[in-house]
Amino acid sequence: MRKFIFKENLTVFLEALKKDYETYVPVKKGNQRFYEKYDTFTDKMVIGEVRPFEPLKAFFYRAREKVADDFKVDIPYSGDKPLAIVGVKACDLKGFRVHDYVFKNHDYEDPFYIRAREENLIISADCTCTIDTCFCLALNIRPYPQENFDINLSMVEEGFVVEGGSQKGNALIEKHSSLFEEMREEYVSQRDKQREKVIGEVEENIKKNEIPYQDSYRGIIEKNYESDIWIEEAKSCVECGACNTVCPTCHCFLLYDQKDEGRMGRFRIWDSCMIKDFARVAGGANPRPKLWMRLRNRFEKKFDFFPKVANLYACTGCGRCVVACPAKIDIRKVLKRLVSNA
Amino acid sequence: MRNRNNPYRPIKAEITKVIPETPTIKTIRFKIEEPISFQTGQFIEFTIPGVGEAPFTPSSKPSVKDVMEITVMKVGKVTDKIHELKEGDTVGVRGPFGRGYPIDKFKGREILVVGGGCGFAPLRSLMYEFFDRSGEFKKLFFRGGCKTPKELVYRSEIEEWAERKDLDLKLTVDEGDSEWKGNVGVVTTILDGIDMNCENGIVVVCGPPIMMKFATFKLLDLGFKDENIYLSMEKNMSCGIGKCGHCRIGIYYVCRDGPVFSYDKIKNFPNIWE
Repeated sequence: MRKFIFKENLTVFLEALKKDYETYVPVKKGNQRFYEKYDTFTDKMVIGEVRPFEPLKAFFYRAREKVADDFKVDIPYSGDKPLAIVGVKACDLKGFRVHDYVFKNHDYEDPFYIRAREENLIISADCTCTIDTCFCLALNIRPYPQENFDINLSMVEEGFVVEGGSQKGNALIEKHSSLFEEMREEYVSQRDKQREKVIGEVEENIKKNEIPYQDSYRGIIEKNYESDIWIEEAKSCVECGACNTVCPTCHCFLLYDQKDEGRMGRFRIWDSCMIKDFARVAGGANPRPKLWMRLRNRFEKKFDFFPKVANLYACTGCGRCVVACPAKIDIRKVLKRLVSNA
Repeated sequence: MRNRNNPYRPIKAEITKVIPETPTIKTIRFKIEEPISFQTGQFIEFTIPGVGEAPFTPSSKPSVKDVMEITVMKVGKVTDKIHELKEGDTVGVRGPFGRGYPIDKFKGREILVVGGGCGFAPLRSLMYEFFDRSGEFKKLFFRGGCKTPKELVYRSEIEEWAERKDLDLKLTVDEGDSEWKGNVGVVTTILDGIDMNCENGIVVVCGPPIMMKFATFKLLDLGFKDENIYLSMEKNMSCGIGKCGHCRIGIYYVCRDGPVFSYDKIKNFPNIWE
C-alpha cells in the first residue's frame, strides 16, 4: 500500500499511536540522534537523517531481561504496552535477519524475542543524509528500507511517502485513512531523487575509505587466520566491549541468577566476546586467551560463521563500532586489509 | 498470546543422595519434579538457585527418568556450591540439550571406551546403556585413567565391571601407590595392543582436553577412522540452545550440535582442544 502523509498529519498519527504503543522517535542532540520516548511533537525529532546512536536491537532483545522467575512455568513477560519504533533505518533492519536466525529458527524458540517481533511496530524511514562512517552499500543494503518494516516513511518536500510493509502496517494506515492522501507521481520522483542522492553519498564514503564490497569477502577469514593483521589491529583494544554493545547484529548473552528473599530470578544481559572470560570454562581452559584471538573470533563470527550457516554477513555497514571504539579499531580498515591480503 | 515454553526456566529437583567419590569429586543424585528423558551423552544445565548454572552430562541410566545423577568435580563457583549440597536441598534442572551418542550406529561393531578422570561420568551412563543392550555389540573394551588411585571414581562399580564377561577392562594411573597393582602411565599407554580391528572399530573418548587430544592422536595412529572417534567436547555451554554464543567451535554450537562430535566433523577447526 502506498500513500502520502503531510507533516502535520504525521504528528496526529503519532499521537494516535500512543494509545496502543509506547512510542520511540529519534531526537537530535548535538550532532547525534538518540531514540527517546515520544510524548509530544518537537522540532528536535528527526524521522529522516541517519541511524540513531543506539542499535534497534535494544527494543527487541533487551540489554537486561528477566527470563525466569523461580521455577514458575509462566514466562515472566513485562506487562508494558508493545513498542512502536519510528525512524528506523535500513541498516538496523538487517539486524533482524541475524537475530531472527538466532532466536527464531531453531528447535528452541526464544519466547521473549518472538513476542517483541510479533507485537512491536516498526515505522522505518529512508536515510536523508549520511555520516562519514556509513557504508551500508558495501554490505548490499540500500540506505532505504526494503524489508522487515510495518510502515516506511520517505521524507519529501511537504511530507512523507508512505509504504505499508506488512498487514499490521496496512491495517494501521486504513484505520487512520483520513490522515493519508493519495500518492502523486511528483512525490515518488522526489523520493527517488532523494534516494539517489544518498546512495551517491554512501558510494562516495566507500570510495574514499576504500571499503571492499561483500562480493569480495568470501574466504577472507580462513585465508587470513594465521595473519599478523589480528595482532596488529588488536594492539590498541582495551577490551571494553563497546563494539558488541552498539552492533545491531551481536546477540551473545550471559545468563545470571539472583536470589531475592529465597526466590530465584534468572536474568540475561548482553555479553561481549571481546572479554577474556567469554569462552573460558570453569576448569580453566580458555580457547581464546589473547585479545587478538578474540578480535579474530569477532570477525570470524560475522564474516565466516554467519555466511556459512545463514548465508549472510553479520554486518550492516552502520559504522557504529567505528564510532564507539575508544581504540579506533576500524572495521572498514580491517575488512580492507583482509580482502587485500586474501 | 500463544503459550510458549520457556527454555530458560529450570525444573525443580530435590537432592536425594550425595556420594563422595574422591577428595574433589562427588556424585549427586536428585529427583526431578517433571521427569526428563535423555539420551546418553546429552547434557543438562544444573541450577543452584540464586547462584547459577553449570552444564553436566548425567552419569546415570537414561532409562530412569525421574531420578538422575551427575558426577561433579569442584572447580568453580557453581561446583563449589554443588559440593555443599545435602539431602533435601532444592536445585533446578534444564534440558536435556544437544546430541548424545548415536548408539544405534554402534550395533554389531567392536567398541572401545576411553575415559579420563571426571570424564568417566558420561561414560558410566553410556556403559549402562551398553550393558542393557549387551548382545547388540560385537565386543566391548574400556580403558580408563586417572591421576592417582585415590582419584578413581565409581570404584566399587568398576570392580564389578572388571568381572563382566562382556567387557575387557583395563585401568591406569599417572602415579601409583603402595596398593595399586595395575598399570602406571597416561591412558595412551594402555591403548597399545588392544585386540580389536581398529579400522572398523568405534571409539568413544571423554576426559580432560589434554587427555582427549593425545588419546585421539594415538587412536588415529592405531588406525581408527576420524568418523568413528566420538569426542565429548568441553566448552562454555550456557543457554543450551545455540543462542548465547559462548560455546561455538567453527560452524557448530557445542550445546546444540554436540557435545558429542565425531572427530571428522571438528578436526579442521582451529584450537578445538583448548
